[in-house]
Amino acid sequence: MADLADLCRAALRAAAEGEAVEAYAGGSRRTEVKAGRGEVESLSRSETRGVGVRVIVDGRLGYAWAADPDVDEVADLVASAREGARHAAPDEANVLPEAAAVEPLAGLFREAQAELGPDRKVELALELDRAATSAHPEVRKVEEVIYADVVSRVAIASTAGVEVERNRTDCWCMVMALAERDGETQTGYSFAVARELDELDWRGAAAEAAERGARLLGARKPPTERVPVVLDPWAASSFLGVLAGALSAEEVQKGRSLLAEKVGERVGAEVLTLVDDGRLPDGPGSAPFDDEGVPTGRTPLIEVGVLRGFLHNTQTAARAGGRSTGNAGRAGYRSLPGVSPTNLVVEPGAEGPEALLARAGTAVYVQSVTGVHSGANPVSGEFSVGATGLRVEGGRLGEPLREMTIASTLQDVLGSLASVGSDLRFFPGGGAIGTPTLLVGEMTVAGA
Amino acid sequence: MLDRSVAREVLGAALDGGAAFAEIFAEDRRSTSGRLDDGKIEELSTGHDRGAGVRAVAGDTTAYAYSNRLDREALVEAARAAAAAARGSDRTSVLDFTRAEPRVTHDPEEPTAGVPAERKVGWLEEADDAARASGPEVRQVIAGYGDSVQRLVIASSEGLWIEEDRHRLRLMVQVVAARGDVLQTGFEGPAGLGGVEVLRRHPPAEVGEKAARQAIAMLDGSPSPAGEMAVVVGPAGGGVLFHEACGHGLEADTVGKEASIYRGRLGETLGSTIVTGVDDATVEHAWGSFSFDDEGSPAERTVVFEEGMLRSFLYDRFWARKDGAATTGNARRQSYAHLPIPRMTNTSILPGKDDPDDILGDTSRGLYVKALGGGQVNPATGDFVFGASEAYLIEDGRITSPARGANLIGNGIAILQAVDAVASDFDFRPGTCGKDGQGVPVTTGSPTLRIARMTVGGTGG
Repeated sequence: MADLADLCRAALRAAAEGEAVEAYAGGSRRTEVKAGRGEVESLSRSETRGVGVRVIVDGRLGYAWAADPDVDEVADLVASAREGARHAAPDEANVLPEAAAVEPLAGLFREAQAELGPDRKVELALELDRAATSAHPEVRKVEEVIYADVVSRVAIASTAGVEVERNRTDCWCMVMALAERDGETQTGYSFAVARELDELDWRGAAAEAAERGARLLGARKPPTERVPVVLDPWAASSFLGVLAGALSAEEVQKGRSLLAEKVGERVGAEVLTLVDDGRLPDGPGSAPFDDEGVPTGRTPLIEVGVLRGFLHNTQTAARAGGRSTGNAGRAGYRSLPGVSPTNLVVEPGAEGPEALLARAGTAVYVQSVTGVHSGANPVSGEFSVGATGLRVEGGRLGEPLREMTIASTLQDVLGSLASVGSDLRFFPGGGAIGTPTLLVGEMTVAGA
Repeated sequence: MLDRSVAREVLGAALDGGAAFAEIFAEDRRSTSGRLDDGKIEELSTGHDRGAGVRAVAGDTTAYAYSNRLDREALVEAARAAAAAARGSDRTSVLDFTRAEPRVTHDPEEPTAGVPAERKVGWLEEADDAARASGPEVRQVIAGYGDSVQRLVIASSEGLWIEEDRHRLRLMVQVVAARGDVLQTGFEGPAGLGGVEVLRRHPPAEVGEKAARQAIAMLDGSPSPAGEMAVVVGPAGGGVLFHEACGHGLEADTVGKEASIYRGRLGETLGSTIVTGVDDATVEHAWGSFSFDDEGSPAERTVVFEEGMLRSFLYDRFWARKDGAATTGNARRQSYAHLPIPRMTNTSILPGKDDPDDILGDTSRGLYVKALGGGQVNPATGDFVFGASEAYLIEDGRITSPARGANLIGNGIAILQAVDAVASDFDFRPGTCGKDGQGVPVTTGSPTLRIARMTVGGTGG
């Protein structure tokens, strides 16, 4: 069977004179185990792969993809993409990146993890269930625990000379604990990620999920008021997800970013420094090169409150007359590259979360927010989202709160940032976000 | 796509570890998508996905293995992987296949397969032109088009054999309107199970205009007030609320994991007696419909709330067997890469008797929500939050100025109880519902209805 690089080369052979052709081939092997109530609920295993082909003719772009094509079907993909290009509008920014030297990044692929059999994974899921249900007296069951891992391979080759390959292993676990008291149920969620199972802090995830559920028991609606807010890393990461969109040059160029035309201006308090770093040894989003083969790097975005720049792929960089920052991201072979953070990291401060609470005195501590995608407007920065958390009184966590909304603007949150905690934590996704606990200024908290 | 003798061999291999049940889900899906941004066709792409998953169930454990390959060798390998994880003491054999005939079909009048790319590009341009012509405030228009044909075969050890072709078409238009420093977005996105006729019912120009009108209308708004107030939800909007705040808690896996507030409460009158809610996968050509669900059970209409009384949960085979109930045909999966789980299809609150104008006239002060954005719910508590993408103040029984950034927050059962008026009008909207990492097409529908009191989050104090 042809390997991923062979499939990419087949696409290049089908390129016609004057055409720019790029093939992205991705393959993965996954395992996922779900458990609960002391039993394995499901075990899923898969092996999949596919190829996506970009063809650019006179600035016109077409795309075609297929699951598990053979070399002949890859040639058909080039023809389909060429046909698509015929109908698209020309755009000078439709260019492929030139070949560049890629520095390897050690430690992303772990042989032991790639070879790990299903038995150990099943055992871990069951241990995770036991750990979550014995961590706290009011947590007797889980809604679900999951252990999952993936071995993934990517090859990219283009008529512009790119020819790269990368392999990686990732594993993670998720715990959704149910805390119960007097007929009331609260859920607590946590997770852990690692490159291999032996480094996965699943015990920590189990204990944390139980604690986060149990501490919400007895939660009540707060009165409507304006109070300072402490965002724990979970809640902070949700808002940073919206900020990540605003920092994408694609959004900026399309007039969909509240940060457009603000480079060099103050957009946040001086305690705020934000970078995108694709080469952090422990970053879940680290990779030697991005999804069009451009080497990753470190991009300062906000320094001491001042906006320094945006995240670019080759297309947005061409439009802006700059260089790609190595932030092309795609959701696999089925999609064209967009712009994505690698590891978007808020530089941690010196104080732990307890010190932040003490400094806040009276505040609302938010441990999770819901509805950020629907409740936050990436253009105006206005948001109103659902939240759960706890009251902060006398500098300590107090009464739990539910059914509340918090409303403000992203600009006010960044501008009123009073302190950044030292408890940096990574949240994986389509680009990882790393943030500590944040103490921000007053927001409208609505409840009863 | 799948040969019967190969299916028999694969299912036999999947039962080898002593599983009680085995199933193959094979699909081949061809899709086209196009995107227009800033007045230009940015890309046109085609996709060809295919793959098969083999499921084996032993006791309460489900094993699943899938790959992109549909050849005998790959399927048998997947079956062996599933069998290794689904160990039991059953000695089941594969029954002879009988092809099931659908009770309801959704064949397209004009399939998209033969439509040239020029015409698809033209629809995007029509939507764009109409949106831009709606007002000088229109700053950005993004239009997306997508169609797909999913051919599937499901075969099970119990002798089930079903084949279904699902044709889908969707058009989406998002508009950003600006006046001074104020930017607002509007969205419209019709979709259906069918072909080109979906766009005859929803002409692209009309879709573009609606999205633009919503964005422009919200420019005049002030930040929404916050606090408790009466909320009148316009047609279709109440369906989103019902889907998110109640529907997810009725899905049998949530109930079975004791994570639902509805567990053990069948037969109880939990909501207002003017509320009747259904989940109906048989609605012809609706975005959330099908002939068979994704484990081959026929599409059904299920009354979940009848005059406020909890009547049924939404089942797939697995949870129906655990509960000693019958499947309600709600097993769905995003693709061969996913296990089927209980999901909603077309979920609606049925129309009542009131005149929508009377409901408004009878509301002295409150919020009128014309369009809801996405929302989220915690099924264990029923607590939810929804963004209102288009909302207005109600003052002295009349709709007045737009209210921006409003969020509705509450609790499923509390809201069901608080509904005090249901109108005789009705509308529904298509969407994609996400759960456990799987997105499936759904619709949500409702008449105009009023919630006597609920919490509104907003920045207007």
